Amino acid sequence: MSNTDQIRDPFRELIEAYALGALDPEDRAAVAAHLATGCAECTKALGESQWLVSQLAYLAPEATPSEMLRGRLLKTVREEAAAKTSTPKSSIPLWMWGAVAAVLLFAFYNVHEVRVTTNKVQKMRAALEQQIKIQQQSARELELARREAVILTDPKSMKIPMPSGKEDMPMLQATWHAELGLVVSGQMLPMPSGNRTLQLWLIPKTPGAKPMPSLTLRPNADGKFDLLVANPPNAMYGTKALAITEEPEGGSPQPTTTPIWVGAVAGK
Amino acid sequence: MFLVVFTPSDSREVSLDAALVRRLLQRDVNAFEELYDRHSRIVFALIQRILQQAATSEEVVQDVFLALWRNAAQYDESRGPFVPWLLTLARNRALDQLRLKSERQRRREDQTEELPPVVTMPDFEGSLDEQRRARRVREVMASLNPQQKRAIELAYFEGLSHSEIANALKEPLGTVKSWIRNGLLRLKEGLQATS
Repeated sequence: MSNTDQIRDPFRELIEAYALGALDPEDRAAVAAHLATGCAECTKALGESQWLVSQLAYLAPEATPSEMLRGRLLKTVREEAAAKTSTPKSSIPLWMWGAVAAVLLFAFYNVHEVRVTTNKVQKMRAALEQQIKIQQQSARELELARREAVILTDPKSMKIPMPSGKEDMPMLQATWHAELGLVVSGQMLPMPSGNRTLQLWLIPKTPGAKPMPSLTLRPNADGKFDLLVANPPNAMYGTKALAITEEPEGGSPQPTTTPIWVGAVAGK
Repeated sequence: MFLVVFTPSDSREVSLDAALVRRLLQRDVNAFEELYDRHSRIVFALIQRILQQAATSEEVVQDVFLALWRNAAQYDESRGPFVPWLLTLARNRALDQLRLKSERQRRREDQTEELPPVVTMPDFEGSLDEQRRARRVREVMASLNPQQKRAIELAYFEGLSHSEIANALKEPLGTVKSWIRNGLLRLKEGLQATS
């Protein structure tokens, strides 16, 4: 074993955990610095470890996203394709690019300074992007909360009581707004057993038609249940009832248990 | 800084995905639709396992696929297969969401890359179809001792570090490190043995 091997080996043993993101900050920084030296063996091992780690996704219980998500996504994509906005917009504000250019111009006279300054700019950029992400997330959550508030209070919304067939279960209240979506809420619900979850179904008016699966949700620790289905399909007009069943984690394509709550949708 | 050598494979699945991603660069909505239909289930399953909340998970799935649509050029097929790349992107986004939600951004603050790191497909990878590989992953992980399996799941699905896992499981740090490394090596051997 050469001296180089003796130095490299300790890092090689950390590569799998690095790929998994499990290293503590100190070890992580050490491995990153080592990889930055261009060690071919560790770099190759990292690529393979990333692949291996990605296979752990198959441990997740099988689940299918709703048709509404597919429809929403394809609508956005079609609109963007039609608008021919082929150049992706940067999330970095324009002034930030100006700052980068100014910094680089200054650093042109000193190679060392360029390196140091560029690092700083990258950190600033990272911090800014992180900030932007947080703001976008907050804005999204605020938008959902607003939407839910409007659905619950708009006189145009239709109230759909959802009593339970079981005596010890509290009643749920569904509120449907034709443009904004559907909210189903309730209090003091018992937690479904094990990993099971509650799933909403739309029961079509058409005789013999299968119930349409919707979102799944478990009540929170206080027993509060608050489910928002944004942009429900036009199929709501063809829906005669809403139902909620208990299903395996991730939901089911069709009900596997008797509905606990059912609410009739008034005719439209 | 993740330049690696990609071992080419003749897997039809891999080349189909790569061809579909190439068509995204031409703003081909049909290609996007096909990629979504092929991979949205595993992406949603992974994100929902991490976030445990269907509505938020769908938001993140939307983010992931819109990022793919808008930045398809960032995927370089010569540097690794598509699905692990997509799953890495999905996991990163879901863990970011988890950290935002719980306001614990105590780790990975230096991890600023938008793109997932490049993954290298081992020689045996192309010979296993997705369903068989998924089954094999579950079999190998089920053969680990429960605490070892739990340690790997805490790292992968909850983004915990060695120390945090040691605290959570009340086990020595060295034990947790060995569990995770040996478990991943067992998984690698298990997948190789099946190929």
